[in-house]
Amino acid sequence: MTNMLGLKTKMLAAALVFGALLLLPSCAGHPDVPSSSKDAGCLPAIFPDYCDVTVPCNIAPLNFMLPADQFDACVARFSTPDGRQQTYGKGVKVQMPVSEWHAILDASKGKSLKVEVWGQKENEWLSFAPFEIHVADEPIDEYLSYRLIEPSYIVYDYMEIAQRDLTSFEETQIFNNKVSCDDPKGQCINCHSYQNYKTDNMLFHARVTRGGTVIVSDGKVSKVNLKRDNTISAGVYPAWHPTAKLIAFSTNLTHQVFHTAHPNKVEVFDTASDLILYDVATDSVSIISNDSTLLEVFPTWSPDGRYLYYCKSVPLPEELRGEDISATWSKVQYNLYRRSFELTSRTFGEEELVYDAASADKSVTLPRVSPDGRYILFAEGQHGCFHIWHHDADIACLPLAQDSVIDLSCLNSEGFAESYPTWSINGHWIMCASRRIDGNYSRVFISYFNNGKARKAFLLPQEDPEHNTFRLKSYNRPEFMVEPVGISVDQFSKVFQ
Amino acid sequence: MEMIQRNKATAIFLYVSLLAFISFVIYLLYINQEVLYTAHDRSEFIVGAPFFHTLVSKPFGLMQYAGAWLTQLFYHPALGACLLVAIWALIFLVGAKAFRLQGAATALMLLPIACLLTSIVDLGYWIYIFSIRGYWFSQSVGYLAMLLLLWAARCTPRRWHLAWYLLGFCIYPVLGWFALLFMLCLMLCDRPSWRELLGVVLLLFTASIWRTLVYSNQNPDDVMLAGLPRFITPIDSSSYLSIPFWALAAFTVFIPLCGRYLSRWFVPVLCAAAGIIYTCSFQFSDRNYTDEMRMMRLASDDNWQEVLRVAAENPNPSHSMVMLRNIALMNEGGLLERSFQLGNSGTDIHNPDSLHVSLLNIASPLVYYNYGKVNLAIRLSFENAVATGFSPFYLKILARCARATGEEKVVERYTTLLHHHPFYAHWQPAPISGKVSELQNAFADDINGVDNNCEGYIIYNFSHTSGTDSRTVSEQALFYSMIRRDSRCFWASIRNYVKLHPDEAFPLHAQEAYIMYMDKAPEEKRIMLPVEQQVYDRYKKFWETLEKQAKPGVKLEKIGEDMRREWGGTYWWYNIFGRKLL
Repeated sequence: MTNMLGLKTKMLAAALVFGALLLLPSCAGHPDVPSSSKDAGCLPAIFPDYCDVTVPCNIAPLNFMLPADQFDACVARFSTPDGRQQTYGKGVKVQMPVSEWHAILDASKGKSLKVEVWGQKENEWLSFAPFEIHVADEPIDEYLSYRLIEPSYIVYDYMEIAQRDLTSFEETQIFNNKVSCDDPKGQCINCHSYQNYKTDNMLFHARVTRGGTVIVSDGKVSKVNLKRDNTISAGVYPAWHPTAKLIAFSTNLTHQVFHTAHPNKVEVFDTASDLILYDVATDSVSIISNDSTLLEVFPTWSPDGRYLYYCKSVPLPEELRGEDISATWSKVQYNLYRRSFELTSRTFGEEELVYDAASADKSVTLPRVSPDGRYILFAEGQHGCFHIWHHDADIACLPLAQDSVIDLSCLNSEGFAESYPTWSINGHWIMCASRRIDGNYSRVFISYFNNGKARKAFLLPQEDPEHNTFRLKSYNRPEFMVEPVGISVDQFSKVFQ
Repeated sequence: MEMIQRNKATAIFLYVSLLAFISFVIYLLYINQEVLYTAHDRSEFIVGAPFFHTLVSKPFGLMQYAGAWLTQLFYHPALGACLLVAIWALIFLVGAKAFRLQGAATALMLLPIACLLTSIVDLGYWIYIFSIRGYWFSQSVGYLAMLLLLWAARCTPRRWHLAWYLLGFCIYPVLGWFALLFMLCLMLCDRPSWRELLGVVLLLFTASIWRTLVYSNQNPDDVMLAGLPRFITPIDSSSYLSIPFWALAAFTVFIPLCGRYLSRWFVPVLCAAAGIIYTCSFQFSDRNYTDEMRMMRLASDDNWQEVLRVAAENPNPSHSMVMLRNIALMNEGGLLERSFQLGNSGTDIHNPDSLHVSLLNIASPLVYYNYGKVNLAIRLSFENAVATGFSPFYLKILARCARATGEEKVVERYTTLLHHHPFYAHWQPAPISGKVSELQNAFADDINGVDNNCEGYIIYNFSHTSGTDSRTVSEQALFYSMIRRDSRCFWASIRNYVKLHPDEAFPLHAQEAYIMYMDKAPEEKRIMLPVEQQVYDRYKKFWETLEKQAKPGVKLEKIGEDMRREWGGTYWWYNIFGRKLL
């Protein structure tokens, strides 16, 4: 009953907003639909491509544009399932006010809205085939965080970890590498991670100047040095245990080399990597796995905390052992394993092979288990552990009760790297970083997932669609959050003093 | 009568001094045209919200944004220079009003202008590595804005000064250190009162308050005295280059304190002379510095004939110039006929700060691109652009590289950004030349470490490429094995060169090297090639001369210098006396 009332109230509010908007077309800048136009006979080549995508019911406006070098103007008409319509368009861009867009979404929740697009070219209007945007019932986590960094090689300058409100376009800074750095050599920040999508327990690393791992525990900030006598490095790739104040890390000796002609351009590789468990309360580190001949990396917990999944390299062919990276780079492959974990005794069970990628000449990285524990996502390429530089890398999804992966072609692109997959808290939205726009700058793509089926992925919306061209940074390590980080940059910076 | 004559004389001195100073400014900007073009080529201005927000999130960011936009005008150095001169002319006029200078004392405004001029011409090789956005205009625009405010403030009654101090505080995010300078000048312009005391308090705490209230995510060093240029990179720093700005502040404070007492006839002469001497003593002047810039501009446009013309006029080229010249010879022909005649011993760059600037920062992306090493060109473009900004130079070379690798969407991104530049509205990357394409396809993929020695990589890589079936690569392999003075590489590459160039004349420098290696480092199984008798006779004469010169106690460098005039254009001289590059 309460739900029904809530729904009615929302519908009434949506209707009121819509009505108000229709009464004030000129104030809101709603253009008229062209009185006459020529049928283009095809879908519009809009950027980003939002044709027939499925979006969350709380996502920010899906602003888009027609190619500026081909069109002079664009008008789009959005029709909701209840028959109401609204038009947008200024120049070649369609940019919608957040409140109006949310009214449209509210009116289309669980259904589809129809979009008709007209493009003006040399004083003639073309009308394109209409397309639909499907509005899912399931919302997406309200916040997303990522590191903004040039698709760089060795040199870095300004970098920041930012958080974005997915229901609007607001982007704020969690931390940047300049605020507390007084050394010209600079500081590198990376690997932000949260416990259970919440931000009162989180971490990120800082390296070079005043390096360490910044850990927020119940809202209190501290910096710790995770390099211990018995570890090969400080903590690198983190995974918070879902219930306890424990963090699994890989420790890595990481290097990078450059291809002189290969399209992949960069190879990032480890010469050693192990797994450790860090106890936040006692500041103690214990070894999970440290096979000296193989490389263990990318730990991630099952949602119940009873299993730790991770990737582990397979032995190199006999003839390549002892060879350097110029001979081995394309032969290093990782499989997916797991170990059971007993929280009370803090002991790990025997290693189990979960997915044998190497036997299919593939390599698995960055696993993430779905919140319902039924699926596991990972990035899969032919070789190596750093798939964001591998053009052949795709996101794969393995039902944990099966041996083979399910089709995620709707999420993946052809010939461009996809990496760093993750789930929303309700398990209905998959997000990954992809270089598909131009092969160089990674952007965030989101896909609807339900009962083992994914829908066409859509690009993270921006207020100005050209923002994707103007921002010369990559979106690195996108992570969902259900709440924003409440600690200010200044507060974080104090742990470096 | 005497008074009128004295005033007349003072006016004459003032106008003559102004004329002399203006002539000096115009002359200096004229001879720095290549520097100004390079300023636009290496300065970042990216259209759109991300670049704008990045800048305005810091105090003085709006000035930097305006400065970055205006720097684009240096595409036509004369246009940018005219604008700069116009801003300085306004500074002179507004400054005279703001400080209430009259007669001869107005010439005092030449001193701040000399400081701003100095900051334009003293950078030297910092131009390739510093990352201060909008540097070229932001200080002049900021200073002009400060003077306008001061003028406006001094036109109002003194009781309003407190409001002006508050305004100075409020506009700190826009004017940065110039807002503080404005408050300081306003205090010094009139006799102290309780208002000035409040002004002092505001002045002292303005930056801290803004840091606490608004800029808490910024490094305190970037908020205090925001906008005052600091020249720091991870490996270099210079306090020398900050001197003109401290001098600018000092002169600006000095003028309200002493300006009224400096109206004697000789003041304009002194100011103009001081300004000229000051700027001359700080300006960076080096022929290779500007020739390098000219060659870079021409090489970026694939104008190889002009590159060769500039190279031919320079007797002591730098490493970058040698590299660009050899690429020009590869494209225009004559590498093995002319290269050693023009000299292959690059000189080190001259700079007062002992900067870590090299071919890597100056020309490496262009060199790698033209040698077909496109991935390396992309990497070094990124390394440099991340440190200094995605300037037109890097956007253009990245677009060219992307076209060469077939990444059309990347080409589109960079050309879209360039098309918002006032002078690149229709820019498109030039088609990939046959040479670049041939070189690009001649090499298999290889794994390369973090070695940033571009010159060493090119020399080593080409000299070990004797097995190629590309005619261009075989020529480069022979050339760089000669540069390397490696007899094993030489013999391997000359065999391949002869095989791939069957109907061509045996180039002069290859003959010279062949004779020398046959004499000094022959292979067991010799390759017999016809050489000109004249070249062989010269070789004998070279050794006779060398033996005569080589006496006990005489240093090799001295012998090399003595023999340079007659033999400096031969491979033999290079082989023995030339600077070792690897």
